[in-house]
Amino acid sequence: MVSLRHHLELYSRLLGAQLRSQMQYHVGFVLDLISTMFFTATEFGAFVLVFQRFPSIGGWKLEEVAFLYGMVEVSFGVMDMVFAGFDPPAFAQYIRKGTLDQFLLRPSSLLIQVFGSDFTLRRIGRIALAVGILVYAFNNNQIVWNLEKLLYFPFVILGMILFFGGMFMIGATITFWTVESTEAMNIFTYGGGYLMSYPMNIYSDWLRKIFTFVIPAIFLNYYPALFFLERPDPFGMPYFVHFLAPVVGFLVFFLSVQFWKFGLMHYQSTGN
Amino acid sequence: MFLEIARRSFRRHLTYRAATIAGLTTNVFFGLLRASVLLALLNGQSANGWNASDAVTYVVLTQAIMMFVSIFGWTDLMNAVYRGEIATDLLRPMSLFGFWFAQDVGRAFAALLLRGVTILVISSLIFHIKLPSSVAQFLALLLSMMLALTISFAIRFIYNLAAFWSPDARGFARFASVIGTFASGFLMPLRFFPDWLQQLLNFTPFPHIMNTIIEIYVGSYSGNQLLEALLAQTFWAAFLVVLAQIILAQASKRLVILGG
Repeated sequence: MVSLRHHLELYSRLLGAQLRSQMQYHVGFVLDLISTMFFTATEFGAFVLVFQRFPSIGGWKLEEVAFLYGMVEVSFGVMDMVFAGFDPPAFAQYIRKGTLDQFLLRPSSLLIQVFGSDFTLRRIGRIALAVGILVYAFNNNQIVWNLEKLLYFPFVILGMILFFGGMFMIGATITFWTVESTEAMNIFTYGGGYLMSYPMNIYSDWLRKIFTFVIPAIFLNYYPALFFLERPDPFGMPYFVHFLAPVVGFLVFFLSVQFWKFGLMHYQSTGN
Repeated sequence: MFLEIARRSFRRHLTYRAATIAGLTTNVFFGLLRASVLLALLNGQSANGWNASDAVTYVVLTQAIMMFVSIFGWTDLMNAVYRGEIATDLLRPMSLFGFWFAQDVGRAFAALLLRGVTILVISSLIFHIKLPSSVAQFLALLLSMMLALTISFAIRFIYNLAAFWSPDARGFARFASVIGTFASGFLMPLRFFPDWLQQLLNFTPFPHIMNTIIEIYVGSYSGNQLLEALLAQTFWAAFLVVLAQIILAQASKRLVILGG
């Protein structure tokens, strides 16, 4: 039985190699950092600029939307960095080029190898800006920090990282069959992120119900935000749903790993 | 020859049908989310002359033409430079710009048919969207779209030429696509931006890639304004095509081809 310590050691070695190679070209790396930051800056910037003409969105003020947006961006940014090996278009390359077959032949955990195969450090730029947006939201919403909120906060971020990470894994698993990555997965990854960046009451009933009962994204960011900002729940759900974020995140991640294992059993190499 | 290359590229791109269905679902979903945000902001009111119906039409139209004008990063040409295939392209009895532009025109019209028209049809079932009201407006729209494609292609061609100078020019493509989505009016309608920013962006070619088409479609321009918009587009198209030739001439001088 290979110990957890062995896995961690392997991962940190793979990670070290990744980081050294990515920072080899300083100028290129700095430019990459700036361009990922720019992505978040223009997206949120466009919203902020447009917001000047309007009093609110679905009854939410700019600083409140900034809280939703910042939470999603931080989580998605971290996930995108850590789960980069599972990013469906990138993972499809492993299948096409036979890299995955190399991984499978090695006497170590496949998951650790895929995790260690890519770590997009340039996302730090995006994460840094997202933290900035969150700090702005903290300062302007006058959040009263008590012990409950302090304890819950990291679990909300973790829940979203697990959720988005699970979506990346599902997208990667689908490529076992399709070889090409499918654009439809973007609905759940980038689309999910977009959806959660705004108050859920702005969407039509049926759309919100899908993202409550089919894909329970509403519990990952919206309900925690209601709790942190102490806003009333417009949908009259039981009080405990405010605290479901880590449960939903973990459950989605667990199911994704099961799907990944199932896909792996059915994997047939592309042959070259 | 230009038309023949365009026609073949068109037919080649028409074959990606399975990917199109997946793409359409995603496209309509994003359209739904973006429309929800704008409708919630407007909240039944108008802003700077646009009401809910204009905003929804804007979203549907941007989703429909984003593949046509290809606002996201494009790296085919720089990849051809890195792989050395550019040498063969330069030997062709046609300018490099013309050869790649013909292919892009074919790609664009395939995208317009597969993505654009289908999205308009599907979306018109979900939303109430506006339609061009006269033949003249429709013709102006077609002309505007061709000019927008020319501008978009020339910009993409120019940043791809960076591959002649830099060993990794993908950063330029990423950067350009971020600026493009913001300044062309894809992320948010330019009309809703503060006036100073709209005026500033009017000194750049980016609004002419998308915003001008949308404004013509929803009928914001009449008579002289329409003519002015089309003239501005023509100016930018001509300017960028010439600029692309100048930079290409410089780039070709740097090219060293190793045989073997």
